[in-house]
Amino acid sequence: MIGTIARKELTELSRDGRFRLLAAVILVLAVASTAAGWLQFTAVSRQHAEAQRETREQWLGQQEKNPHSAAHYGVYAFKPASHLSIVDTGLDPYLGVAVWLEAHRQSEMKFRPAQDRTAIQRFGELNGAEVLLVLVPLFILLVTFPVFAGEREQGTLRQLMSLGVAPRLLVAGKALGTLAAVALVIVPVSALAAVAMAWASADSYLAADVSRTVALGATCLVYFLVVTGVGLAVSAWAPSSRVALVTLLGFWFATSLVAPRIATDVAGSLHPTPNAAEFQRALDADLSDPEEARQRLARLQAETLTKYNVTSLDALPVAFSGLSLQSGEDHGNEVFDRHFGRLHDQFSNQARVYQWAGLASPLLAARSLSMALAGTDFEQHRHFAKAAEAYRRDIQRTLNDDIARNQRAGQPYLAGTELWSRVPDFTYDAPSIGWVLGRQATALTVLAGWLTLAGALALLATRRLSATLG
Amino acid sequence: MLEARHLTKRYGTTTALEALTLTVSPGEVFCLLGANGAGKTTTINLFLNFVDPSEGQALVNGVDVTRAPLESKRHLAYIPETVMLYRNLTGLENLEYFAALAGSTDLSRGSLLKVLERVGLPADAADRRVGGYSKGMRQKVGIAIAVAKGARALLLDEPTSGLDPKASNEFSELLRQVSGDGVAVLMATHDLFRAKESGTRVGIMKRGRLVALHGTDEFSHADLERLYLEHMHD
Repeated sequence: MIGTIARKELTELSRDGRFRLLAAVILVLAVASTAAGWLQFTAVSRQHAEAQRETREQWLGQQEKNPHSAAHYGVYAFKPASHLSIVDTGLDPYLGVAVWLEAHRQSEMKFRPAQDRTAIQRFGELNGAEVLLVLVPLFILLVTFPVFAGEREQGTLRQLMSLGVAPRLLVAGKALGTLAAVALVIVPVSALAAVAMAWASADSYLAADVSRTVALGATCLVYFLVVTGVGLAVSAWAPSSRVALVTLLGFWFATSLVAPRIATDVAGSLHPTPNAAEFQRALDADLSDPEEARQRLARLQAETLTKYNVTSLDALPVAFSGLSLQSGEDHGNEVFDRHFGRLHDQFSNQARVYQWAGLASPLLAARSLSMALAGTDFEQHRHFAKAAEAYRRDIQRTLNDDIARNQRAGQPYLAGTELWSRVPDFTYDAPSIGWVLGRQATALTVLAGWLTLAGALALLATRRLSATLG
Repeated sequence: MLEARHLTKRYGTTTALEALTLTVSPGEVFCLLGANGAGKTTTINLFLNFVDPSEGQALVNGVDVTRAPLESKRHLAYIPETVMLYRNLTGLENLEYFAALAGSTDLSRGSLLKVLERVGLPADAADRRVGGYSKGMRQKVGIAIAVAKGARALLLDEPTSGLDPKASNEFSELLRQVSGDGVAVLMATHDLFRAKESGTRVGIMKRGRLVALHGTDEFSHADLERLYLEHMHD
């Protein structure tokens, strides 16, 4: 019965010129955005792989020099892009995907394409997630608005309701028909994208990507079901198909265009972050306080002399310059942890507000999930930043320890390839899907709530259908 | 098969139907006559449970339509003034869809085509989209749906108005066949001639009340018309 209803909806749609045109437009946009995402992804990952190799070669190829010079020489670390970033670039264009790791400094990430964009470009960016989560729902609403309201106007609803069809079967069948229509458009594109992804990836990220891809597919499906439920409920409830259309367009406009901007503003005002200049000023003030540095060095000197039971620095079996450099690093690390910790906590809080804002717009919950699954949300940015910073600290400690061990007072000390290669290459393991979803519990719950609500609304509205025919 | 017990429908202070008590047995064609607004369509809507009764009961095959709205419709088929179909689907597809939703199990092309042939739809029309169907063809598809469903009670709301005499005659002929198979038919109509021709009983309604109830064999067409006009006169 459900299948019969769905098939009839699909047959009718496929014979409707407006539907065919709409489907073609969505198809073209989906293919274009996927292709653009894929080109971007392959270009960027090739560049990153090259740059990563180059930075390593340059590091290893350094001539003999003092380790601290090498520390200032620095290296780049690149956040590996998940294949799903083809679908959802998320916050990457805003937060950056590469970080410069050098002595004394925790840097902010670089390569933020959004930096170079004008506001209008930011508005017009079309990535796969926009097509999937904004345009496809619009398509769904345009398909569902006449489902009951149009049948009422055509007069077929009386005929239909006189048959004694259970409302839940009717809702299920119409929903299935709508989803089948969506699938007609989405499935070929997804298959194409999957093939492109598999073809593009000789590397190991794919296995982890499979579970994320499945989860992203499920997220989209649930969100489409929510939109379908709302569409059917409004179509059954509305006195005319015109009212249904206007109501649903209003719903789409509010939840898909207005809500994201309001949510961003609300998140920003609830959990404000300093601008870059303010942040830097506060960081610098804590970092290079001359009085603090003087006291710290005096303390380090006293402790070191006591530890090695000597009376002058010259008599130490280690180079004090190495120890003081490391002490400077340790102090800096504390300051960085405090400042970046506070800043990142605020960003995390903003992301959490964004998840809760899903209560107002299911798109926000779905988008939060899609970014998270694509590995382009803030939490995974932070996860990477932490790993890169830990790597930076390891480099500094390795180099400073080497200075402490090998430098002799009054003599220049040069280290070579042996030391450079003792610094391991940077590797980064993206967090597991469990880690990711654990941080999306709010979005998951909110989306599940929307699904229940939309289903209940559709069922309720359909139950009342025959009572509106008198 | 169809039974109304003190069936009453009020909208605010207006009474659309007042304490209608009526039984239509299998094989009977009961024609409801009356001016517009006399309560004929309200009666049909009440049997379809499209409106809730203010008082009384409507029963189909002994089942109260408000208590079991789905079960009561299982034996029912409804044919309005113009049978509304999905214009982008063919006649056969429409029949298949409605028959499937009504619970028919035999949906093979062959048997559906046989049903369409039985109701007299031109053979070449079955695979054409109904957007181009005449009203008479639509009414035939309506009957075909009822036949495919195996309905045991038929509710008709002015099914022949606007049909040309030939189509109207064909429709009456079909109705006679269907009722001959033991289907109970309740038809609201303005067409006294058709009522006399294909009806077994007529009821005249006025302002929500059934004011007269006669067998069609009691009088000639002219008598029926006189009787009707007498009741309409006030």
